Amino acid sequence: MSDARPTTTRPDDFDAYWKEVIAELDATPIAAEEEALPLRSNEFCTAYSVRFTSIGPYRLFGYLSIPKGEGPFPTLVYLTRCQSVVEIIPQGDANEKRGRFAVFSLSARGQRMSDQPYAASYPGAFVEGIEDPRKYLFRGIVADCCRAVDYAISRPEVDRTRVAGMVANDLPLITSALRGGLTHLIASPDVFYGPMDRLSGDNGYPLDEFNDYLRAFPDRREVLARTLAYYETLFFAESVKVPALLWGDPAENAPLGEVMGAGVALQASEHSRYKDGMIQENWIAEQFGLPDTILPSHWK
Amino acid sequence: MNKTAIENHGTSVVRPDDFEAFWADVVAQAEDIPLNASVERNALRSTPEVDVFDVHYDSLDRVRIAGWYCLPVNREGKLPAILQVPGYIGEPPIPKDRAKKGYAAFSAAPRGKLRSNAQYNPGYPGLLTHNIVDRNTYGYRGFYLDAIRAFDFLLDQEGVDSDRIAVTGSSQGGGLSLVVAALRNVRAASAGAPYLCGYMDSIELTHTYPYQEIRDYLHLYPDREDAVRECLAYFDGINFGPMVTCPLIMNVGLQDNVCPPETGYAAFRTIASEDKTMYAYDGHGHDAGSVDHNEISEAFFSKHLKSA
Repeated sequence: MSDARPTTTRPDDFDAYWKEVIAELDATPIAAEEEALPLRSNEFCTAYSVRFTSIGPYRLFGYLSIPKGEGPFPTLVYLTRCQSVVEIIPQGDANEKRGRFAVFSLSARGQRMSDQPYAASYPGAFVEGIEDPRKYLFRGIVADCCRAVDYAISRPEVDRTRVAGMVANDLPLITSALRGGLTHLIASPDVFYGPMDRLSGDNGYPLDEFNDYLRAFPDRREVLARTLAYYETLFFAESVKVPALLWGDPAENAPLGEVMGAGVALQASEHSRYKDGMIQENWIAEQFGLPDTILPSHWK
Repeated sequence: MNKTAIENHGTSVVRPDDFEAFWADVVAQAEDIPLNASVERNALRSTPEVDVFDVHYDSLDRVRIAGWYCLPVNREGKLPAILQVPGYIGEPPIPKDRAKKGYAAFSAAPRGKLRSNAQYNPGYPGLLTHNIVDRNTYGYRGFYLDAIRAFDFLLDQEGVDSDRIAVTGSSQGGGLSLVVAALRNVRAASAGAPYLCGYMDSIELTHTYPYQEIRDYLHLYPDREDAVRECLAYFDGINFGPMVTCPLIMNVGLQDNVCPPETGYAAFRTIASEDKTMYAYDGHGHDAGSVDHNEISEAFFSKHLKSA
């Protein structure tokens, strides 16, 4: 057993908590509507804005990009980042990738384009409603991520054997554990991976949101820990059944690797967006059985 | 492409004859509007070491701009200050780390950023091409002035030594650092992976967002290319270079797929300062070698801001 294993105690009703969320989602019609975006379309892909519904009910936004030509296409689903802006394809990725991959980028509740009626603050989002696990903002955001996968795999252009969920935080792993549809995931265990063990010292945001909160409300440490326990990344790992690339210190992520088994690659950052980007592009190409990678010009 | 080719890559950017007059006029318009700054301590974000303040001020067109202002709790006399200007898609950070090192630190959220978008909100993507055919209403006209007025906010602070204010940022923050250094009396500037330099060169050199926004726009409206080029010449960091005379360091990643290093070099060549150094990091992309460069920039600020 790795020394880095979080000390978080699994709530007795952990499974019931998430079963309820998924039941809510299943009872909520997705009611998707697409609108073409000529400005973001080109000779190799067509872009759409998408409106669809998650639990609440809450109306969400996403960018969809579909390659021209005959599908189905390998698909990249970008789940929500710890920022307000939602991108069609991540900054720095070769735009030509949109000619090979179907791409769906989620704007979760509170982010731009999904900020009516609720607009999130950054910092601020990670403690929104944290006093009550059933009212915690990320209960809805996790459901939004699951709904994004639902939407992506509902598209006939999507190759359901090659759907990667990705973004640099815990959410792809959590989503994959709770909802079928993703065939691969790329994640960076972060805020929800043993957060209470990492609160001392200088962490930087978003983890510092918890430090700020505890300075303001020192008597609520148990409350904070109780809610965050439902989001402990480790508790989801055993339910992940797809190949995964996990970014971060391999020693720190070893407990996840032990649970997830042979399908997980633990990858340390090279502290270079170029080198890390190449590793990620090569991993996807290999996993999806693609003949090559589509790289930005400065990486060739 | 090898380093020499990147370093010597040319530029298509032409400096308009009235470039400096244009900006003198815009700056004068902004200066006619009092900052009307509010500074309120934010207890939630403050720590035992750093006082954090919510700041708001009026900028060009009377758009209200937000920012985070950080001061060391234990402070005496006038402090050196650092203005931190933000990247394109992220929200401006709370610069507590700089305050811990003894600086007054201000991190502004120019118009359209989350805390400053009540009056102007072109979105992301969107900002880069908002009114891109008209230099008098282009989105970055106000955005640039918001950064300038952020510097003016620091100038006005009683606890700040007005002769020791630096500016820094990376990506969009790198481009904004050049703009502030050009239009204000900055003690030192550090610009990383500068965006907003060689806009029209960049859309040829790279097919990635955010510059892709311009390619998208011209794909839909190809007949507007001349108007776009003419407008952007007034906002190009390369054209601000001759007005930058303070000590400056710049860092680029030679594999930068977001802000092509060729354009960073093009901007660097035009900078008038005699005290300027380029740090190029091979094997690095848009991070621009920050893992190694941060120490260099800290030493640079210490040398120029903390020495007597």
